Amino acid sequence: MSRRLNRREFLKLASCIPLGWSIASLSKTPALQASLPGNRKNIIILVFDAFSAYSLPIYGYGRSTTPNIDRLSKKAIVYHNHFTNGSFTSPGTASLMTGVLPWTHRAFRPNSEVAPAFGSKTIFNVFKNHHRIAYTHNGWAYTLLRQFSQDIDELMPRETLLLNSSDKVIAELFRNDDDIASVSWERAMNTEEDGNAYSLFLSQVVESFKAARTRDIKKLFPRGLPGEGTEKFLLETATDAIWERLSDLSQPFVGYFHLLPPHAPYSTSLEFFNAFKGDHYQAIRKPVDIFGKPDIDTILSTKRTEYDEFILYCDKEFGRFYDRLESSGLLDNTWLILTSDHGELHERGIGGHMTDALYQPLVRVPLIIFEPGRNTGMDIHEYTSAVDILPTMAYLNGEQVPAWTEGSILPPFAPAANISGRNIYLLRAVFNDQYAPIKMASIMLVKENYKLLYHFGLPTMPEDELVRLFDIRSDPEEMNDLSLSAPKIAQDLLAELKNKLKEVNEPYH
Amino acid sequence: MAVNFITQKYSRQGLGTLFLTCAFPLHLWTLILVFRDISWLTDRTNLWDAIGVASYGMIFAFIESVLVFLVLVLLGFVIPRWDSDRRIAFLALLILITATWGMIAQLLFIWNVSLPAWAIQYLRTSNHPLRMLYAGALAVVTPTVVLPVYLFIRSKKAVALMHNITERIALLTMFYLCFDLVGLIIIIIRNL
Repeated sequence: MSRRLNRREFLKLASCIPLGWSIASLSKTPALQASLPGNRKNIIILVFDAFSAYSLPIYGYGRSTTPNIDRLSKKAIVYHNHFTNGSFTSPGTASLMTGVLPWTHRAFRPNSEVAPAFGSKTIFNVFKNHHRIAYTHNGWAYTLLRQFSQDIDELMPRETLLLNSSDKVIAELFRNDDDIASVSWERAMNTEEDGNAYSLFLSQVVESFKAARTRDIKKLFPRGLPGEGTEKFLLETATDAIWERLSDLSQPFVGYFHLLPPHAPYSTSLEFFNAFKGDHYQAIRKPVDIFGKPDIDTILSTKRTEYDEFILYCDKEFGRFYDRLESSGLLDNTWLILTSDHGELHERGIGGHMTDALYQPLVRVPLIIFEPGRNTGMDIHEYTSAVDILPTMAYLNGEQVPAWTEGSILPPFAPAANISGRNIYLLRAVFNDQYAPIKMASIMLVKENYKLLYHFGLPTMPEDELVRLFDIRSDPEEMNDLSLSAPKIAQDLLAELKNKLKEVNEPYH
Repeated sequence: MAVNFITQKYSRQGLGTLFLTCAFPLHLWTLILVFRDISWLTDRTNLWDAIGVASYGMIFAFIESVLVFLVLVLLGFVIPRWDSDRRIAFLALLILITATWGMIAQLLFIWNVSLPAWAIQYLRTSNHPLRMLYAGALAVVTPTVVLPVYLFIRSKKAVALMHNITERIALLTMFYLCFDLVGLIIIIIRNL
């Protein structure tokens, strides 16, 4: 590590930016309400975007990426085989919030909304008696939150916690179309990303202005400020702002907070810059996938290291957030859920998550539930998925578990036998029309020890279809495709998957 | 009073021509990049949103055109004793040269053009690589500005040529301004 900054130094620099209410009252830890009537507790769902379970030591990773999560998970319920239901933000987040699979909610296209029927079938709708609050850095997650906003008491505007004031002006000016207006503004003014912008002159002025405003903070982020394109932010600001707001809220509340890190670009802070450089960590070498590019092992290795260093930054902020919740007493009344919308790949010639290669690092995400009053850890090894979170939280808070949900109540709150042997699905169908039968997609089916991958109709694939089978209990790195050596299992699972597809396609014929 | 002050230096028609000449490269470049972006935008969102991005882009280009025009008008006040037409032609020449270099700078990124290996090696070994780089860029750019300006000042033919060019550009830009109008309507609809 180059240099360690203490918090005081960091905030001193961060205060150059008028971020308002977050920094002024850092030391505020009010005595919060100790108990709530009945089963009702607060719920905080904290989503770190593109946070792969593969990169956490509690799930077996070889680098110490999450010292705080490791420490805190000793008094939490840790789900070791938790899957997302979509491999990128839109479907993964929509499944988490609606409790239904992507082929049901239909938000499987990039930046898509769910089908109108699911606009009011969300976790926010279930908790009508709670104060419901949400924030996200992620534009695609924000598209969904806006669609659900009729059931959200307080949807914090996305630009609230972004650093760039000009983007905020655009978002304010075009409030009913801020997403597309912001995309266009970014393409017009941001030359930093691609070296080109619609604007020839004004872009230079805007870039210079932004650079001047963030010069001091930039020194703390050697790989650039966190955030995509022109939408930069500090994770410290987000966790501070969320904490500040939660500490003032009437209880009970439900908070959904979807923070962009460790999503690419992996812009860790100076404190963790080069933390893993030269640590001799060797990732397992895996063959280049049909969706991968050859000869990019070195690039992927570098990217993995940068990703891991970015996770350190997330972990630090999570630890700080948790400690403040705990010391304020808020955790005594609050379910805290730490999870992600999808994972991230750095193997087989693939970097990122916009891929049809649905390997474990992409589809397996952390799920850690901090139960009020729990002081001992618990490990759950059953297969679970994002759609289970909504029914579980409803059940635990004495709310009616909605009939529409396709998830189940998680163990240990319901017997593990209830979910053993069931099917876990993930759908990626970015080329498929939103309201047409699924004919171009990659689908994952996990059942018992097996994981079936079925790719069909993809323009990026030479064959019409491809089937792969892995035994993820005995071969968690997915090195041996069993589709040829265990054809019976593959055929049975495929038949089951095709039957399911037929069923979900029925309404769209 | 301000209007009188401006009309002492510029004719009304000249100002219109100058504005349209400013708007031309800015709109042209926006359109080129919008057409380049439209397929991935459609893939990632949908056609209506892609049209939305293009519409905002055109309006931003229009606003930028107004700003650049105002800067040029102010710049025109420091040009001594020329008649309005000559002043307009000269300012148009400057904006076209500057915009061309702006486009070239971005095209280098788009086409992924980098310095040859020997030049990079040379810069690496020099004590002040950044200074060398700026000096090199200045050496390339300066003649492309000085030469046309010199010709413009010395030759009446060059002035006439510039005048013809600006008239043709102005006509074409009127067409681009129609896109702006359509873009504005689309933005209004999207924000209803």
